[in-house]
Amino acid sequence: MNENGKKALQGVRVLELGPYVALPLTGRILASLGAEVIKVETNKVLDEMSFIPAWSRGAGQPDFQRIKKRVSIDVRTPGGLEVFQELVKVSDVFMTNFRRNILDRWGIDFPAVRELRPDIILMWQTGLGGIGPYYTYKSYGILVQHMGGVSLMSGNDGEPPSAINTSYSDYHTGVFQPSAIIGALMRRRMTGEPATMESSIFKSGAVTAGPAILDYQANGRLPQRIANRRTDCAPHGVYQCQGENRWCAIAAQNDEEWDGFRRAIGNPDWCNEPDFTTNQSRLANQDRLDALIGEWTAQHSATDAMERMQREGVPASIVSQGDDLYASEHLKARDFYRPTPYYVAERGTPAWEWEKRDSLAWTTPARLSETPMEFGHYSNVGEDNDYVLREILGMPESRIEALKEDGSLY
Amino acid sequence: MPLQTPEEGRLLPPYRVLDLSGPEAVFCGKLLGDYGADVVRVEPPGGDPSRARGPFADDVEGPERSLYFLFYNTNKRSITLDLQSDRGRDLFRRLVAGTDVVVESYPVGYMDSLGLGYESLRAINPGIVMASVTPFGQTGPWKDYKSNDLIALAASGFMQITGEPDGPPMRQGNDQSHFPGAQFAAASILAALYHRDFGDGEGQHIDVSLQEALITYYTDAHPALAWMLLGDNVTRVGATSTLVIPLGAYPSSDGWISAGIITPREWDALSEWIYEVTGNEEVLNEAYKGGNQDRAPYNDLITALVIDFTTRYTSEYLFHEGQRRNLVFIPVNTVSDLLADPQLEASNFWFGIDHPETGTLQYPQGVFDSEEVSPATNAAPILGQDNDAIYTGELGLSHEELSSLRDEGVI
Repeated sequence: MNENGKKALQGVRVLELGPYVALPLTGRILASLGAEVIKVETNKVLDEMSFIPAWSRGAGQPDFQRIKKRVSIDVRTPGGLEVFQELVKVSDVFMTNFRRNILDRWGIDFPAVRELRPDIILMWQTGLGGIGPYYTYKSYGILVQHMGGVSLMSGNDGEPPSAINTSYSDYHTGVFQPSAIIGALMRRRMTGEPATMESSIFKSGAVTAGPAILDYQANGRLPQRIANRRTDCAPHGVYQCQGENRWCAIAAQNDEEWDGFRRAIGNPDWCNEPDFTTNQSRLANQDRLDALIGEWTAQHSATDAMERMQREGVPASIVSQGDDLYASEHLKARDFYRPTPYYVAERGTPAWEWEKRDSLAWTTPARLSETPMEFGHYSNVGEDNDYVLREILGMPESRIEALKEDGSLY
Repeated sequence: MPLQTPEEGRLLPPYRVLDLSGPEAVFCGKLLGDYGADVVRVEPPGGDPSRARGPFADDVEGPERSLYFLFYNTNKRSITLDLQSDRGRDLFRRLVAGTDVVVESYPVGYMDSLGLGYESLRAINPGIVMASVTPFGQTGPWKDYKSNDLIALAASGFMQITGEPDGPPMRQGNDQSHFPGAQFAAASILAALYHRDFGDGEGQHIDVSLQEALITYYTDAHPALAWMLLGDNVTRVGATSTLVIPLGAYPSSDGWISAGIITPREWDALSEWIYEVTGNEEVLNEAYKGGNQDRAPYNDLITALVIDFTTRYTSEYLFHEGQRRNLVFIPVNTVSDLLADPQLEASNFWFGIDHPETGTLQYPQGVFDSEEVSPATNAAPILGQDNDAIYTGELGLSHEELSSLRDEGVI
């Protein structure tokens, strides 16, 4: 992928301390953009994400950890803390997602970090907030989606909150943090000043409620739950097709697209009834319109329905599932998924004894023409101990042995 | 162009960004503008189509009253320019000479057809960073497929995992597809500028696929991986999990509360709390003890016990008392809850932004909190408000030229 070897963030070193989704994703993106990301973790307490998905015990880890230099240092030991502090001194960015009560327990506080490296950029990310009334509160990513407001803006009125089967809000955080960090690096280059930034999954989720927040203040209106419909055009929805759980999404947003839609389904008589000839009449008769479209899609495969619509210039897509994405000619042409090894995680056994197996990871959704994002190497936990301790920190063999002896390096 | 340092209190230097983007990337320019970049929205003379998109202030339509436009265009300036006219394209080229970034989301090939594709812009300004955010990217068999928010969420598979298992796939409300492509574009643009200005590089073109960005936004559901290794398709599970019990959203006395019990210790604490409240010994059943997925066989029984408990209290009480007991209870908020939330208040999340049509409203600008830097607080621009400053002030057009451009409908 990176044929010319040029890296956008050449020379930037990032120190990452923290598990789960958002923070490791930030590290993966910065590493893909060319930063050297050192991930500090320990075999003694494995990130729960080492085991995802549960049926594979780790096949999903490469997506979050590729390209990083992984060093297995336990910061809770005096020896480990000392190594961590030495890494701070040679890093441009330190980012962590531990809550303050945990960091305090380990003796990691931000003023001390800044004393070790006065110009270091700090990104401190938590679930609900690092400062303020919830600072000790615990969270799980899959639930924080409900806190940012999105689940009561989706689905239908009267239904339970519409849940997304993933740690949804984590991704807003994971993907916005790289731009804030790169901005802070630029600013430091120009002004010499560092920055400390506090982010949370709650906050980055709540940002996405934007227009609805203004609507509530200006008009006193809470978000309407209108499922897949829109208030200004019809048809706009998903329609069941041939096969189990197969659906096609179709949107006709104006008369031109409606005309394309009619052509795509062979212009049956009902299309020309007064109930459906104008956007206003289609909006007023949506239930019947959706039922009639469903009768047509039920006779077609989702892919066939999509292709017929797109040929006539109508926005449409299959509702993709895993097999579609895995076999997609489009994604293959863009080199989106690539094979990667992974290691089958086992508690109580050091990572270097885990079995190596085949998995899959995404490359990147952003292609930079001069400094392409790297796919790079996938390291296992502790695989880069030698590189980090000997080459970066210049540690003698005797000290490495001592760290192993006292359990700091494991 | 000499590199300028950031203004006091801003993250970014005032990089000039020409923002031509539609829904796929409109948030990218906002983010860069909030951080301190000088973002100029280039609108057709009649105004950007999103100015006609509701909701509107006081439900009265008007180009300056779209709350959608106001949110997505904070900290941008506005000029009008007809890119379909020769004079308009000529002016655009002159602007590009003094610009750092162009962000666009037109159909693939449209900018080329205007003679304003990346190669043409690079010939004018080798340092230009151009980002194109499109539904399916610049290459591949689906590159010309038409799309919108619904279609993007369908094509990426996001809808497949959203909603109830016995209902149809659901989209997430409030245009959630506006964020992933824009966020990847912002990070890539800044990395490209870092390379250009601090790594001795030149400009570049960035191709962002919204479909792919959305796929990365649910990485931990592993759709392609589950198919490759298991032959399974991941799908929606609804508001509550069927594997980890209890996990999800449950009714309270006044709405909803979400909770997740993962570790054995968390179950012990929750089951004791439920017993305290309900006196129902069933919840202490030894068979239910354990972690993560150990309660999956008893889903119906346990979910009934949990709901009998949660419906006795308000969401607010369950949230704080649950957390006091070291249990993950999380509120299910709507926008009025967000505006009243003490945590958001304490971490400088809200910024009052004044606009002539709406007065001052609180905007959710503080995606991160920092003592050194904070987001800019300029309202979204009035259509064409910066025409004079940019066309006469920067490009040196005379007032006669400006009025002839106006007469011809170019600006």
